[in-house]
Amino acid sequence: MADHSHPPKLEYQPALPLPNGKLFMWLFLSTEIMFFAALIGTYIVLRFGALTWPTPHAVHLSEPIGAFNTFVLICSSVTIVLALESARANKSGAAKFWLALTLALGSLFLGVKMFEYNAKFSHGIYPRYPRSLVYEKPDLIYGSAVRLRAQELIAPIAKKQETERTDEDKERLPLLTELRDQASTADPHALVSLAARIMPLPPAGSHEHLHGMNDHYSWLRMPVVIPGGNMWASTYFLLTGFHALHVLIGLIVFAIMLTMQLNVRSAGVIENVGLYWHFVDLVWIFLFPLLYLF
Amino acid sequence: MTEHADPHQPHLGYDGYPVADHGHGIGKYIAVFVALCLLTFCSFFTYTDFWRHTMPVGVGWAFMMAVSCTKAMLVVMFFMHLKYEADWKYVLTIPASIMSLFLLFALVPDVGLRVRKYSEERFEHVGTTQDVHELERASAEEQHAEHPAGGAHSAAPAAPAAAHH
Repeated sequence: MADHSHPPKLEYQPALPLPNGKLFMWLFLSTEIMFFAALIGTYIVLRFGALTWPTPHAVHLSEPIGAFNTFVLICSSVTIVLALESARANKSGAAKFWLALTLALGSLFLGVKMFEYNAKFSHGIYPRYPRSLVYEKPDLIYGSAVRLRAQELIAPIAKKQETERTDEDKERLPLLTELRDQASTADPHALVSLAARIMPLPPAGSHEHLHGMNDHYSWLRMPVVIPGGNMWASTYFLLTGFHALHVLIGLIVFAIMLTMQLNVRSAGVIENVGLYWHFVDLVWIFLFPLLYLF
Repeated sequence: MTEHADPHQPHLGYDGYPVADHGHGIGKYIAVFVALCLLTFCSFFTYTDFWRHTMPVGVGWAFMMAVSCTKAMLVVMFFMHLKYEADWKYVLTIPASIMSLFLLFALVPDVGLRVRKYSEERFEHVGTTQDVHELERASAEEQHAEHPAGGAHSAAPAAPAAAHH
């Protein structure tokens, strides 16, 4: 006998009371929490386990600039949330305005970050030794590095005949010769003085950026001594670099979204992108005191 | 006759999913924004000479971390709307936070306490607190030699021929 009864009609019930897009974003953010917590946690463990760690001014960090960037990101968090509220109210024009403002603020943040990176690069502070000009202590290895750099600059001048030398060459040669000679000593006190001349270290708690020979002669680019500076540079560029990368990705998404109609039907997308952007803000909230004020 | 919403039915959001009603006014966001700005100023206050000369370093660190945690809570609860979400929020956030803490503790023996295992040779090439003090002292002497009258620190250093040894 044939069974004419129909199978029960199944109805899909989501396990969690939230849209798939939002669930995906929160799952993604939970991996991001672990990613940045690992980076920040490692920074904290490295920093407090180090024999010495440079002060912000020893590595040419500016606290007011960091505070300004924090303010910029907080403003952008408000503007993205206002974009979401506008979209929910079906005000597409207002949503676009707030989103464009968020894009502008995010770009300003990245611009300031680039300015800060440039300040490090101009002082020879790069992410990694030996490309970096940073040395840990004013010892024989440092003296040798200064001597090599001086010789590198002297060589092209020395090749020229006396009559071929420019005024600039004549100005540079005695300075370079003197630096090379001073770096040839084995006296540790002389090497400390040399390091202090090339890039002075401000006393702890000082707000001053002391200027040395590398600042006065930008072509010089002599190796510098910053105790703990290499580890600092590695962690600083890694943390801020990954954060800046996240900011950049957010800005690209904002730029794409500006081409869309931002009405109530797009509110879900704006909410998800907003969650991402708030997370980027959240990371900076911890990076600012850790990098600039500790 | 007007229709009244059933108070037992959950309020549905723009995406058709139930959401807790947390209002749509911007006043709440402005209030959080002002609080975040004030808290940022509090962090920045530790940069001032007054704070540095009156507070121990450890107190400053604890204060800054407390301020950062408060700011993070404000952002998460109000801007990310987690305050108004259902209990699923704990499923996603608490395990991730616990894993992060485990990682932090796991790093302490090998990374945090690495200096205890340094070889003698490693100690010879690492910058120490003593190096910092010597450099600070030498830097102060250099600055004083260049500007004995306390002139601007950005002035050019002495000419090479007159530079001291």
